[in-house]
Amino acid sequence: MSLAVDLSIAAGLVVLAWRSLAGRDLFRGIVMYIVFGLLLAVTWARLGSPDLAMAEAAIGAGVTGALLMVAYWRLKRISPAEPEDRSPRRSRLAATVALLSTGMVAAIGLAAVQAIGPGGIAGRALFEALPATGLGNPITGVLVVFRNLDTVLEVAVLLAAYLAVRAVLGDRGESLAQPPPQEARLVGALVGVVAPLSVLVALYLLRAGSYLPGGAFQAGATLAACGVLLLLTGRLRAAADAGPWVRGALVVGTAVFGLFGVAMLAFGEPLLAIPGTWAVYLIETAMMVSIAVTLMLLFAGAAGLGGGRR
Amino acid sequence: MTAVEVLAAAMLVAGGGFYLAGTVGLLRFPDALSRLHALTKADNVGLLLVCAGLGLLSGSLREAALLLLIWLLALLAATVSAHLIARRALADGVEVERRDGGTP
Amino acid sequence: MTSATVWVLAAASIFGVGLYALIVARHLLRQLIAVNVMGSAVFVLLVVAAGPIAGALDGIPLALVLTGIVVAVSATGFALALLVRLAEATGSISLEDDGEPDDR
Repeated sequence: MSLAVDLSIAAGLVVLAWRSLAGRDLFRGIVMYIVFGLLLAVTWARLGSPDLAMAEAAIGAGVTGALLMVAYWRLKRISPAEPEDRSPRRSRLAATVALLSTGMVAAIGLAAVQAIGPGGIAGRALFEALPATGLGNPITGVLVVFRNLDTVLEVAVLLAAYLAVRAVLGDRGESLAQPPPQEARLVGALVGVVAPLSVLVALYLLRAGSYLPGGAFQAGATLAACGVLLLLTGRLRAAADAGPWVRGALVVGTAVFGLFGVAMLAFGEPLLAIPGTWAVYLIETAMMVSIAVTLMLLFAGAAGLGGGRR
Repeated sequence: MTAVEVLAAAMLVAGGGFYLAGTVGLLRFPDALSRLHALTKADNVGLLLVCAGLGLLSGSLREAALLLLIWLLALLAATVSAHLIARRALADGVEVERRDGGTP
Repeated sequence: MTSATVWVLAAASIFGVGLYALIVARHLLRQLIAVNVMGSAVFVLLVVAAGPIAGALDGIPLALVLTGIVVAVSATGFALALLVRLAEATGSISLEDDGEPDDR
């Protein structure tokens, strides 16, 4: 019975992946990709990880989908003719390559799945070391305490992406997504309900991420989604200059995390050792702020944020 | 299976049926507005049934209340997006047929 | 056929579909979506290969995939900025060289 559920979700994923990439209409492909992301979130829940499901729904389907849509409309305005033809001379070679790689990935995957028995040594060590950190969520433990080098670099990558976008697009004052000149009344009601609720949910996810599924990334993504809504409805506007608040918000995640790591060296601890659960909360809060603001600015394609109409 | 489980299972199946009806409407109706009509009505009722069934199965008042909140939020989102799509479809000049063949 | 096998085969198929589209597609946006799809397939593979440890899933691959999702969206954001800039500068949304003069 449960195998049927797995089969239907997996089949749906494959079909959606195909539909998002095949066919002539690029817009339809983007919509299919968003649906693919949502079904992937269901997949994560099915495979037993609510953390990943939340992150995928917010970031993978939500923010990425919004980014793709905005870019699509922008590109459409710049050059209305889109080359969508398949190039027939390459398709046989491409099909062979794709089939071979499918086989390779399947072989790797099946081997990995069967090799589970004596493996998982690191996971076992994680399971045993987790209670000492005061955290109940193993993913948060890995991200903030045990393998926090990856997380520091990841927040730095977000910052680097913002800087790279800024370098490529210049100091744009106008957002890539423009709100329509006349707004429907219902949208105001939606924003009035959803925006405060998103902040509440984000703060809850941040706090609950220590012992339940959740954490800084999911919280930051929720805030970013709220920010995207505000940008799309004109409550927030893009600005040509990132003011001190925006600059601070962009940098605080990397800075706090990095400072902690380096400061511990002065106390004789190894690099990036985390002194206690209070440090985890502080770092996660800083990360949430950075992730939210960076994703919003990536969406806007602009340098900074400013107030808009009420 | 207890009576509660049977009732919850019936609600889940009915919810799925509503979703199926909405999808059939999406695929079969001729223009954007009628598709929207089928989709939003059927999907929201379907979600209500699914949430109610899950709430019954969960056995805890807190989870049932959270499921109700989920349904309300989904309703809000669906309402606003349907409204916006309908406005856009009208602005794009979609043709709406009346039963007597004229246009409004 | 266990459920793990189903997921592995699905992930492999999605990877193959993405790779095919990446090679064959002309529009850069489509190629970007293809890369994202391939990344998602790899994530599924990673999580499926995560074995259970004392009832729950092994936490380390999950944290890796979470990091991967965030890095993927950062890279996508940057790639889209590059796309927009390329379109503004050259007027074309493809890196193809068909031997035709660039006359847009």
